[in-house]
Amino acid sequence: MPNVLTVRGLKKSYGQKTALAGIDFEVRPGEVFALIGPNGAGKTTTLRIIATLLAATEGEIRFLDRDHRKEPDFVREKISYLPEEAGAYRDMKGLDYLHFMANFYARSPEEEKEFVDRAVAVAGLGDRLGTKVGTYSKGMTRKLLLARALMTRPTLAILDEPTSGLDVINALEVREIVRRYVREGTSVLLSSHNMLEIEFLSDRVALIDKGRILDSGTPAGLKEKHRAPNLEEVFRSSLR
Amino acid sequence: MKKFTNLLRKEIKELVTKQLIVSLVLFIVLFNFIGQVSKKEVQKAIGVQPISALDEDGSAASKALLKGLESARFKVLDQSGKTKDDALETARAGGSKLLLVIPKGFGGSLAALQPIEIETYSFMRSFSLIGARGQVVVGGVISALNEALSDSFLKEKLPGLDPQSLKKPIKSRDFVVVRDRLAEGSASMVAGMISQQSLLIPIVLMMIVMYSSQMVISAVAMEKQNKTLETLLTVPIKRTSIITAKMLAAGLVGLISAGVYMFAFKGFYGGIGEEVAQAGAQAGGPALMQKLGLTFDTTGYIVLGLSLFLAILVALALAMILGVLAEDFRSAQNMIMPLVFMVMIPYFVSLFADLDTVALPVKIFILAIPFTHPFLVSQNLYLGNYGMIAAGLGYMALVFAVLVVFAARVFSTDKILTMKLRLGKKKTAAA
Repeated sequence: MPNVLTVRGLKKSYGQKTALAGIDFEVRPGEVFALIGPNGAGKTTTLRIIATLLAATEGEIRFLDRDHRKEPDFVREKISYLPEEAGAYRDMKGLDYLHFMANFYARSPEEEKEFVDRAVAVAGLGDRLGTKVGTYSKGMTRKLLLARALMTRPTLAILDEPTSGLDVINALEVREIVRRYVREGTSVLLSSHNMLEIEFLSDRVALIDKGRILDSGTPAGLKEKHRAPNLEEVFRSSLR
Repeated sequence: MKKFTNLLRKEIKELVTKQLIVSLVLFIVLFNFIGQVSKKEVQKAIGVQPISALDEDGSAASKALLKGLESARFKVLDQSGKTKDDALETARAGGSKLLLVIPKGFGGSLAALQPIEIETYSFMRSFSLIGARGQVVVGGVISALNEALSDSFLKEKLPGLDPQSLKKPIKSRDFVVVRDRLAEGSASMVAGMISQQSLLIPIVLMMIVMYSSQMVISAVAMEKQNKTLETLLTVPIKRTSIITAKMLAAGLVGLISAGVYMFAFKGFYGGIGEEVAQAGAQAGGPALMQKLGLTFDTTGYIVLGLSLFLAILVALALAMILGVLAEDFRSAQNMIMPLVFMVMIPYFVSLFADLDTVALPVKIFILAIPFTHPFLVSQNLYLGNYGMIAAGLGYMALVFAVLVVFAARVFSTDKILTMKLRLGKKKTAAA
């Protein structure tokens, strides 16, 4: 089965500043691939390029074996992106927001209803979906946005810090939801600072720093290779 | 199309808030109220008004003066027999607008052709123009009386001679020539009528431009501030559709808002302007304009409408780019200023200067502002400068096309997320 995503020699510069210095990785069907690294390492830039928000300065990206740069509309049909600091329209009711977003992907009213019903189940916000998003807590907004990102069963879900701002219980719920969707066929590309989360969620990880991938593999394989008890130690070891 | 409609509906819903509806309704109610109050005041000022008169002379001439005032819609309250101070006090307490004091010997002096002074005391209870009307009318009556007295003197001394031919030996008949048409009338009246007719154009343009542009700038800035823009840019909808939906929604709401404002203004001006309009009509202004061909036909209105429409499109496209430069809703409020200046410059120039007589660099600068052209359309239509009109329309269409292509490019590239304008700080790109 071909890779969902293949990235080769990806570079991104802002004037003189280099954000990505040439990175390679791939996301396979039905796996969670995580980028881990410190702030400013290039994680979000990578995710934004894959999500068609930014253009790469150099390199090649193939999405479902098609040219990512030449077919952004095709990519947008198949992916969903959850930015780290995303928001929803504050004056919209939660349910209206889900309908608004579902409308862009659904080919029929029935499909739109299917998407929204799925999102309602994922969000778990009950009656609060009938109130305006502006009245939601940070955690509630995050769950609504995650529900929005997963409701279309995207081929690739790009999640930037998916549990950012959530309490322990909500974060656990979110991780379980993500794993469930992966079992059902969605591939996930995510970034996180939370190494525990990465270990729980990811099939493979890439350690990224200063726009370069230092190492990649399964969490267990990396721990064994670096003789480290956890991914934090793996990261420190790979920096040496 | 379904996706575009979905987005357009969302944009309109965001713009048509309860606050907007309430403010528009309040505006109509408030301006109609002010209009009605003003109308009553104008009617009061034009209607019969009480003035006091202290006639110390009691001659036929003084009585003729007071009779003249009565025929000029004044109710003359006779204060005869009182001292000047008592008359002043009575007039002040009685609500008179004015006290007229005709001194002893008034009739005799007139008969002897000796200049004589009468005194007027205006009670200024407010400083409105309408409040000072009493003295103006009394002045008019006195001037008419002076005219009549000098006529009667000349008739007596030079019988068989028309006093007017002595007082005004040179008379003028005024004609106005516009292109190939000629009509009898004054140039100042024509200029006044045209400026009255063109008054609405800058107001309409200014309102729609400011309203719609503010909405577009805020719409983009709010997407940035609420962190919804990134998500919107990754959904399967063309970037040009995002731009068009925002511009169309703002244009529609701006147009409706401007219509409501104009309706409210009509209510306001209806109160004050009716009498003035009637006076203009009586003076034969519209007939003169008709003779000179200075009226709009259907084509004229279509051309004017097209010009305003293109100006609005230019403003919306410009606003879209300015919105991208804004970091958040607050900074978006300042972004409207360049647009306001761009509308105000041609407006003030059209008020105070003739574009044909200004220095060439200034003329080029003013013509380079797209919003200048709607201001020039009406006079160019009147003067038959169709080439200038076509050039103006073409220029605005070109500017709009360039701005839309630029806006689409900004929305299709990194610039939508990295372009920022921090006033007073260095322009930076953010990752």
